[in-house]
Amino acid sequence: MFTTGAKLLLGATVASLAGTVAYGVLAEGTMGTIGLVSATVALATLAGIVIFTRDANVFADEPDTFDGAAANAARPGASMWPFALGLAVTTMTLGLVTYPAIFILGAILFVAGIAEWILQAWSERASADASHNAEVRSRLAYTAEMPVAAAIGLGIVIYSFSRVMLGVPSKTSTIVAFSIVATIVLIVGAIVGANRSITAPKITALFAVAGVALIGGGAVSGLNGERHMHEYETTAYFAEKDECGAEKTYADKHASQTVAGKAGSVEVILNPDGRLVHRKPGDEVDRVGAMQLPRSNPNNLLFRNETNEDRRLVIDLAPDYEGSPPRICSMLVEPGGVQWLTVNFAVPSFAPEITEIGGYRFQVPGVDSADLEVVVP
Amino acid sequence: MNGHTNHDRTIWVGSHDAHTLDAVSAVNPRRRRRIPGIAAAVGAAIALSACATDAPQDTWQPAGENAQKIHDLQWPVFLTAGIVGVLVFGLLAVTVLRFRDKGQSMPEQTHGKPVIEYLFIAIPAVILAAIAIPTVGVVMALADTDDTECVINVTGQQWWWEYDYEVEDDGTICGFAPTAAEAAPIVTSGQLVIPADTKVLLRGTSRDVIHSYWIPRLNGKRDMVPGRVHYLRLSSETPGIYAGQCTEFCGLSHANMRMETIVLEPDHFQQWLDNELEPYTSPEEGTLAAAGESTFITQCSRCHQVNGLVDDRGTDDPDDDTLVVSYPDQFVYSGAAPNLTNLMGRNTFAGATFDLLTDECRADVWEADPEVFGERYLAGVTEDCLNEIELREWLRNSPAKKPMYADAEMLTETDGKTRGMPYLALSEDQIDELIAYLLERK
Ligand code: HEC
Ligand SMILES: [Cu+2]
Repeated sequence: MFTTGAKLLLGATVASLAGTVAYGVLAEGTMGTIGLVSATVALATLAGIVIFTRDANVFADEPDTFDGAAANAARPGASMWPFALGLAVTTMTLGLVTYPAIFILGAILFVAGIAEWILQAWSERASADASHNAEVRSRLAYTAEMPVAAAIGLGIVIYSFSRVMLGVPSKTSTIVAFSIVATIVLIVGAIVGANRSITAPKITALFAVAGVALIGGGAVSGLNGERHMHEYETTAYFAEKDECGAEKTYADKHASQTVAGKAGSVEVILNPDGRLVHRKPGDEVDRVGAMQLPRSNPNNLLFRNETNEDRRLVIDLAPDYEGSPPRICSMLVEPGGVQWLTVNFAVPSFAPEITEIGGYRFQVPGVDSADLEVVVP
Repeated sequence: MNGHTNHDRTIWVGSHDAHTLDAVSAVNPRRRRRIPGIAAAVGAAIALSACATDAPQDTWQPAGENAQKIHDLQWPVFLTAGIVGVLVFGLLAVTVLRFRDKGQSMPEQTHGKPVIEYLFIAIPAVILAAIAIPTVGVVMALADTDDTECVINVTGQQWWWEYDYEVEDDGTICGFAPTAAEAAPIVTSGQLVIPADTKVLLRGTSRDVIHSYWIPRLNGKRDMVPGRVHYLRLSSETPGIYAGQCTEFCGLSHANMRMETIVLEPDHFQQWLDNELEPYTSPEEGTLAAAGESTFITQCSRCHQVNGLVDDRGTDDPDDDTLVVSYPDQFVYSGAAPNLTNLMGRNTFAGATFDLLTDECRADVWEADPEVFGERYLAGVTEDCLNEIELREWLRNSPAKKPMYADAEMLTETDGKTRGMPYLALSEDQIDELIAYLLERK
């Protein structure tokens, strides 16, 4: 009944109990007593379990049981999971003192490692047949391992790819480089497809080389950093910088010069003789008189430049009104081009601050004849 | 299975009055007999509801050219669909009854019958083509704008419609030249006033979400979409009130977003126009309404515009008056509140949901014959006719009267701005003054 293990644990329990009593009486430290009581209880529980299970000992007079036990069928194979767990614990500790993300990475590795280790230990004892054991393991494990591995693999490929694309010095060279890569892939694929004598190892080697090249390229470009990216600014709020003039400004440089004009929009047109006219949905003709637009509504206007020079549309709004810029303008629009301008008139045209500036008027810098009054009721 | 169709019924009748499990679980045969009765009653109710005379939003009573075009198209389409429906269901019934399982032997099973199949393709194709030709014609005709005589801008917002009348290049509004005053844009809400016999083009958009403008007796519906401008034609020969409601779900008070189109004879429209453009007159000094004017300036004018209203409190110098300009975009999510310059010239308010007229006076206007309608409408809301209860309740607590997100605790998403009119905690005295003041706004 009393195996060696049971004796050891029972002895430890008694010693711990004695220590607890001695400490409790002599030192009177509450926390210490609680600690020792806990240790005693823990040891007593372990002793109880070991006695109850007879320490999993098999008696010598029952050799069948001993030989037939799955645990005895084969020695446990080498396992990488203890190592992975060690790595996980180290990573988590590192994460605690550095970045939470590293801790989370460690925790994921920890959980995965424990799950894999348990699965391996279980499968190796599933039966006496090692190949059957391997099969049950993979049947269970692959349902989780395969999708995760695929996701990670794809993630690495996509990320490396994007790093390479962003690292190539210009947009044009990216297009050229990847057209070449795509062509090579196509050609190699065609050769492999046509040539039946190519063996699996060769193809594996090809993939391995491509994979290493991709990840290596990604790492290098990632470390080099992305190419310089232009920030797209709009001229919409450039009143204070006074960039609503006739000249080309920084913000105009990379503007796409035209948008697709859609039905359902109000159009403001700079016609060939330099006059601003407007046309609203349902209008059959261009109008030259004042244009009425609803108040406090983001009116989407299409500015169409029908002259031979680059032009922009400008309008002054209420000079000091909270939440509304004093002047807004469109991009510089090339001849024949169209651009959006969204204008929100928060203040009606009869308000003193608007009558003072001569009312709302669309104008085109550099074209004096272009002047279109806007009435906001 | 042959010969077993009565299987159920046999058990059923046998256990009818016995206290067996079957009797408990089976449907009561008496109730079964009641089902056709209920079906007939429901059917009759639906059928009879089509005969309602007091149905102001009835597409089958067109009162304008555009609605007439739709009507002329829809009745032949419905007729055709009805005939096809009766034929199909009739054949179905005959088949079900005549060929039901009476224990006869299985008929011969064949596959395919080209003649019937070709017919079943050809007949629907011919019907659809016959319907498509006039449909396309009407759709094109309804979108035609080259004969427009008058343009009015319509802007939807939660949960009311704003109208603004443009001054045309020739100085007219909707083809009418103002008699005394200079032409200026007119801004109203809820009730759209148009001249009879005039092809009106509504040009609409929205300040917040998609709304849809629909006056069933005058034309089809048109969605009003933020950032876009859509148009819709209206016209009618018959003076009167034509009701409608927003037909695109637009939030909490969608059901309370109504509108009316008022059709007036040309000289009545001229009168209406002149009245709208009349200069502002302050209430007589010392009256309740005069007190209401200053309450209005302090409590309401930040959102509501009253054209020509000046703030001359605390100054005797007439040159020192400051024009009162509302700035609703700072308080209301949609950025607008109704213009109250001529509130009592219209006879409904808050999305045409509540009446400004007492029931009797309302009936006088709404049920007036076309010949007398204009005069009665132009009388506006008089002191005797004012439905004070509704207006008072509105001023006391508007969000309680019409559900709106004007609750201070629900405004996080809109940066503190309300959808609709907020609760303003006015005293009953202030409300008295305001009603006296508003009663003069026509
Ligand atoms: C914070 C802005 C705000 C303030 C302040 C405000 N209102 Fe309103 N009011 C609104 C909005 C928004 C509506 C439209 C509500 C609707 O119909 O759904 C409205 C509607 C109304 C209407 C109905 C108008 C119509 O044509 O349908 C009346 C009348 C009215 N308000 C009176 C007042 C009075 C009087 C005061 C001052 C005591 C006042 N309001 C203060 C925002 C405001
Ligand atoms: Cu709506």
